[in-house]
Order: sequence, then C-alpha cells, then structure tokens
Amino acid sequence: MRSRTWLITASVAMLAVAASQLGSYPVYLMSLAMINIIAAVGLNIVTGNSGQISLCHSSFMAIGAYGSALMTAKLGIPFWLSIPLGALLAAGVGALLGAPASRLRGIYLALATLGFLQIVQVAIEELADVTGGVRGLTIPKAEWFGVRVSEYARFVIVLACCAFAIWTARNLLASRVGRELNAVRLSPHATQALGVSVNRVRLAAFALSAAYAGVAGGLQAIVVGFIDPVEFGVSAALRQITFIVVGGMGSVGGSVLGAAVLSALPEVLRPVKEYSDVIYTVILLAFLIFMPHGLIAVWHAAMRRIRARTISASTVEA
Amino acid sequence: MTDRLAVENLSVRFGGVIAVRDLSLRVAPGEIRGLIGPNGAGKTTVINAITGAVRMSAGRILLDGEDVSALPAHAISRRGIGRTFQHVEPFGELTVLDNTLLGVGRHAPVPFAHAALATPLARAREHDAVRDATAVLERFDLLPYRDTRASELPFGVLKRMDLARALAARPKLLLMDEPTSGMSESEADRAIAAARALAESQGITLLVIEHNMRVMMALAHTVTVMQEGRVIAAGSPAEIQRNRAVIDAYLGEETADAVG
Amino acid sequence: MSTTLALQLAIAGVSVGSIYALVALAIVIPFKASGILNFGQGEIVTLGAYLALILTQLALPYPVVVAAVLLIGAAGGMLIERILIRPIVRAPEFTLVIATFAIGLLIKGLLSIRFGDSPNSIDGPFGSDPVVAAGLRFNPTSLWIFACTALVTLGILAFFRATRLGRAMRAVSVNIDAARLMGIRVQTVYRWSWAISTAIGALAGLLVAPLIGINPEVGQLVLRGLLAAVIGGFTSIPGAIVGGLAVGLIETYSGVLVGTAFKNLVPFVLLMALLVFRPQGLFGAAEVKRV
Repeated sequence: MRSRTWLITASVAMLAVAASQLGSYPVYLMSLAMINIIAAVGLNIVTGNSGQISLCHSSFMAIGAYGSALMTAKLGIPFWLSIPLGALLAAGVGALLGAPASRLRGIYLALATLGFLQIVQVAIEELADVTGGVRGLTIPKAEWFGVRVSEYARFVIVLACCAFAIWTARNLLASRVGRELNAVRLSPHATQALGVSVNRVRLAAFALSAAYAGVAGGLQAIVVGFIDPVEFGVSAALRQITFIVVGGMGSVGGSVLGAAVLSALPEVLRPVKEYSDVIYTVILLAFLIFMPHGLIAVWHAAMRRIRARTISASTVEA
Repeated sequence: MTDRLAVENLSVRFGGVIAVRDLSLRVAPGEIRGLIGPNGAGKTTVINAITGAVRMSAGRILLDGEDVSALPAHAISRRGIGRTFQHVEPFGELTVLDNTLLGVGRHAPVPFAHAALATPLARAREHDAVRDATAVLERFDLLPYRDTRASELPFGVLKRMDLARALAARPKLLLMDEPTSGMSESEADRAIAAARALAESQGITLLVIEHNMRVMMALAHTVTVMQEGRVIAAGSPAEIQRNRAVIDAYLGEETADAVG
Repeated sequence: MSTTLALQLAIAGVSVGSIYALVALAIVIPFKASGILNFGQGEIVTLGAYLALILTQLALPYPVVVAAVLLIGAAGGMLIERILIRPIVRAPEFTLVIATFAIGLLIKGLLSIRFGDSPNSIDGPFGSDPVVAAGLRFNPTSLWIFACTALVTLGILAFFRATRLGRAMRAVSVNIDAARLMGIRVQTVYRWSWAISTAIGALAGLLVAPLIGINPEVGQLVLRGLLAAVIGGFTSIPGAIVGGLAVGLIETYSGVLVGTAFKNLVPFVLLMALLVFRPQGLFGAAEVKRV
C-alpha cells in the first residue's frame, strides 16, 4: 500500500511539472476537467453509493461559487479560506435539504431536488444586487497575501484539491462509512435491522456530496474568473449525471473516468458548440441502455481477464 | 426476573386488513421460543412489528422491561434485537465479508473525519472489525466465500451469511424468520443444531418462525401457535403436538408436508 | 383587492390553470398505467407548439391543425413508447427518471438547433379582441383553452369508464398481474396510454402557443404541471385537473400579492412543502409507512 501512495504522489507531482510546460489554454482546460472530477465524485457518493437521485447537485456548486466569491469580495476573506467556508455553507444547505428529502424515494425525491434547483435558480436571478443576476458575477483575481495568483498556480491548487477529494472519497468508501452508504441503497430493511439509521446515512450523503460540489463551485469561480448562472441549471445537472453514468456509478474511479473523458469532449466538439446538450443526452441515453455499469466496469472486466490469463499461464508453467 | 421480550396486545393493520390481533407473548432470557402457524397467520408481521419495520396499530413491545414501542427501527436494533430474514435481504453487491462487517462495526464506530483522512485510529478500528468479522465467518464455515459477492452465493450459503451477519452484531434477542426454508433436510438439521449451540453458549434469546414442524420440535423450548393473526395455543412442543386446535389449523398443511 | 380585479385574476388563473391541468393529465395517464413518470413531458408540449406553427404556416384551417396535432401527437407517442420506453420499462427507477429527463433535454436541444431562439407565434382561433360579459373581459383564446380542457377531461373520464380499452387501462394500473391473467394485452395498454398522453401534451402546446409564443423554453411549464400532478395525488384524473386549476390560480394571485420578484418561487416552495408533508397530495392515497 505504501508504495502505491508514493507512486500516485509522484504521478501527481509529475503532472504538475509537465503542465508547467504547457500553454495557458490547455492548463485552463485541465483545471476545468479536475473541477468536474471533484463535482462528479460528490454526486457519485449521494447517487451512486447511497442511491438517492439528486437533480440539484449543480445548485450546491452555485452555493459554493457565490458563497466563496461574495465572502472574498465583501468580507475580504482570501480564497484559500473562503472556498472551504463556501463548501461548508453548501454542506449545511445540503443537510437542510437532506433532512426532509432523504425520507423521499424515487420520483418524489427527483421532484424535490428539481424543485430545489429551480428555487436556487430563481434566487440567483432575483437577488441580482448580490449575485449579478442572469448577467453573472465577475470575480476579482485571486490573491495570495497581496500577490496575484497566476494561472499555473491556480492549476496546482485545483490539482491539489482534486487529489485530496479523490483521496478522501476513496478512504470513506473503503471504510464503514462507505459500507453504510451502499447498504442503505442495497437493502434499507436489513440496514435498519443492523442498527444503522437509514435516514441519518442518507442525510449525511447529501451533506457530503454538497461539500464536494461546494469546493468545485468555489474553485470554478476563481479559475474562470466569472460566475455564469447558466452553469448551475438543468443542463449542468444532467451533464454531471452523465459523468457518473458514463464512468460508473458507486466508484471513485468511475467518477474520475467519466468526468475526465467527457471533459475532453467540449474541445473535440468546439466547432459544434450548440450541439452540447444533444450530444450529452445521446451519450447518457446510450450508456443507460447499453452500458449501465459504465466504463469502469469495462476496465475491471479487462483487469480480471488479464489476471485470469496470468494465473492460468503461471499454472501451466508450474 | 424480567422477560427478555414482552409483547402486549399487539395489533397490526394494513389498510382494511388486520394482520395481527391482540397478540401477547413473553419470552424469558435464554429461552428458545418457536412461533408457528399456517401461511398468512401473521408471523412475519409480528417480527416486523417488534423490530419496528412496520408500525403497530396498538400494543406495546418491551425489551428487558423497557418500552421500545415508539423507537425508530434502527434504535430498537441497537437496544439488542437482531433478525434474520425469510428472503435473506443480502447486500447483494457487497462481499460476504462486507456484509458481516456491517453487523460487526457498530460496536466501535469510526468518526467521520478519521475515516475520510485514513488516520491510524480509523485503520486500527477497521483492522479490529475485519478481525472480528473473520472470526464470525470462521465459526459459520463462510471463510471460503469471504470475498465472494453475496449475489453470487447459493441459497443455503446465503442463509448462513444472513445468520452470521445478524449474530455479528451480538444481539441479546435474535428473531429468526424461517431460517431453514429452502434448505435440504441435512442442511436444516446442521443449521438448527448450530443455532441452538450458539444461543446456549452465548445466552442469546431466540424467537424462531419455522414452518418445518420437525425442526421446530427439536429446537424450541416452548412454542406459540398463531392462526389468522391470533395466538391459538402455547406450550411445550409435546403439548402443542397434541393440541386439538393446532392439529385442526395445520391439518391440511401438515398432511401435505408429511406426504410431500 | 376589488371584486372585479379578483374575478379577472380568477379568469386568467383558470385559463393558464387549464393548460397546467392538461399537462398534469398527460403526466398522470402513463404514470397510472406503466408507473413511468415522463420528466420530458414539457418538451412534448413544446413539440406540439412547433407542430402547430408548421401546420399554420402551411395555411391549413384551424380545425385541421387541431386534428393533425392530435393525430400526429398520438402517433408520436406510440413511436416513443416503442423505441424509447419499451427498452427501459424494467429498468431501475434511476434509469427511468434520468432517461425521460434526458429525452426531454434532447428534444429541446434539437428544437433549439433547428429553430434557434427566434421567437415565433401563432394567433388564437378566435382573434384577440376581448369578449365582454358581466363587466368582465374574457380573452377568447382563454375561453377556448378552458373549453378544450373541459372537453378533454370529460372525454378522458368517459374513456376510462365506458370503453373497453379505458377499463383495461384502469385494470392494469390497479393490478398488472391480475390484468394479464384476465387476458388484457398490457403492451397495447401501454402503447395507448402513451399515445393519449402525447396527444394531450401536444394539444396543450397548440392551445398555449397564442398566449406565450413558440420557443424551446415552452417546456418549462412542465414544472407547474408536475406540481399540479402532485397536488392531485399523481394517480387521480380529477385530482390532476383540480391541481392544474389550483396552480394556475395560485400563480396568478401570487403575482399580485407577492410581487413579481418572488412570485416564481411560490410554485416550487409549494411543491417542496407538499413533497415533505403530504406527498400524496390532496387526492391521493397515503402510503403505508414502511422502512
């Protein structure tokens, strides 16, 4: 295990160094991709693991984005404090929403989260004095003790946050917390009988996913330098769901895979920008029908076959 | 001495249907109580009501003298009531080890922040939990299936896992819903012998729903007989077998069982 | 508030509520039959509006447009059922919710590409000069919408009570296994429930087009339709109609009482309150509380 940790840390460091050689646009795109990964990791926890349909994940990103941006602009709190605070705020709202929502199932939960999404959208538009309304909010450049944070430095910050998000999520899923999340989805009845409160776990999943989304939102604000409310609407919600369906629900690897692969898409599709919604929904539908276990399942199956072949090869030799 | 379990005037209705009417029973600590009755008598509903999975329309449930009637289901379980399921209810995607870990871990929970940061405390607790769960698996001959997904297990093994998982939580009272259904005769005999040995060695009180009369007679100290939501007889296995009302209630079914 | 104003608002509320009622009806019918909630219902309404646009631009007389919208809508519904719904009918709930959502967004995306954001509109069949009666002004289009909704409601209720297919649909919604044993072809029931649903949805699009114009965002009113369905208890036909009218009235009155700023919040806050405290709405059956 220890060697694997060093390997990963080394790879991340190499990625950081390699990126410093790239132009600012690829670095910007990679930052956005990693922000998508953080958001996808959060969504997968609440939807893939605890089995709760959440159509308002992007709303928690909005809370993180506007929350941290306004804390910086109005209260002078530097980004490295306002982003975690924004995430905390998002988690708090997630818990507030989760308290009643976690008792709902299926379509009623979907409707409730959809309703919440709309409430946040309307609030953003109507509180235009504070949020900039539909025209969006420009973020002043992030500063580190008075010094402007460069594009590359922002990339490193996002990289560190992304690595941290993936690491904590993997730890959680490998622990009792992860088992309880899955148990609640697989059999609420048996979970109750083993002394675990299904409602408490579901609520915690909401709050936890909102925290990840809040971090992603706060980071997105400083990377892009501008908050556009369109980024938190229904299309965005569906895009994030596409990440986890394509990648594989219930696993951190799936979140990373799905978000990374699909984040590369906009670049490929740049000439046909209007088709974004259409392409995402077609991909989503295709995966839902033909590959519901996502790309990660293909990866695992391939790994199993390689391992089986290695075992049979070695037994033949023995 | 206080009863381990006292059910007082339990009634459960679903819409217009009365599944359980005015049912009372008491189980002493360490007792093995059988609960039998023809299909549809309401036996599983009684267990669901005791564990809080289903809301009671009337009555009280007391565990060691404490009224647990109003508690949510998970809290009742935490007070020391475990159960196995007629249809197992496994966590299908999880391995046998993970299923059992969910039974074990509750006694030493890991604080959230520790779990997220994989601190030494978290790792130690996980290590202890795995050790305890593995011991349980060993006792139930489930070690060969440790890393197999529950959904891939044969039914008999699944039933054993259900029992192992419930017992891993170290309950004071274990409610078993048709533990030998779907098992062959020899499997059933072995399972029941193991359950009885376990109950007696660890002082666990058992309330067992069984459809198989032979198994019930061998296992239970006392038997309560239900029909159409009511208790129609209670006593030792020998007394029950001679009871007129019980024979009438079961006549059709028992004959079919005996012949089939 | 003067009585006249209150009554005028009521008229406006009932007319927009009729549209919501139709949308709620279109949502509830296939839900009752197949248990699938079509989150993409709003885009069916948008399609109906664009269909009306195309047919009107072909200079077809209005009655022909209405008939064509209904028939094409129904045919479209059968197609959707065959191609998109049947593959996923046994899928887990997550797939059903997300798939219908995605289909809706796909349709909206395609419409945006084809027609762009340029606003279009068609005229109401009876012009826009208000009819004055009893001191109140009635928009003829609103009257027409209300009349159509009333007709559709009566037609649907009669359909479920008096026709074989309607009774078969009710049987399937109550107990699908028993219905199968009785010889009812469930596949046919599904197909027709979707056909009726899309026909009604498309009709709603045609009817509402003169009031709000034709653009890809028309489908947003599905949210009000969903609220109406929740109020009505999701499986109640009369409940859906009452729910729709209620939402229309609430929306119109809150516009005046709460101010335009937060009037848009009211339906969603109401939706969430209902889901939390009374998910079965006003007309639905309360579920037995289980784990």
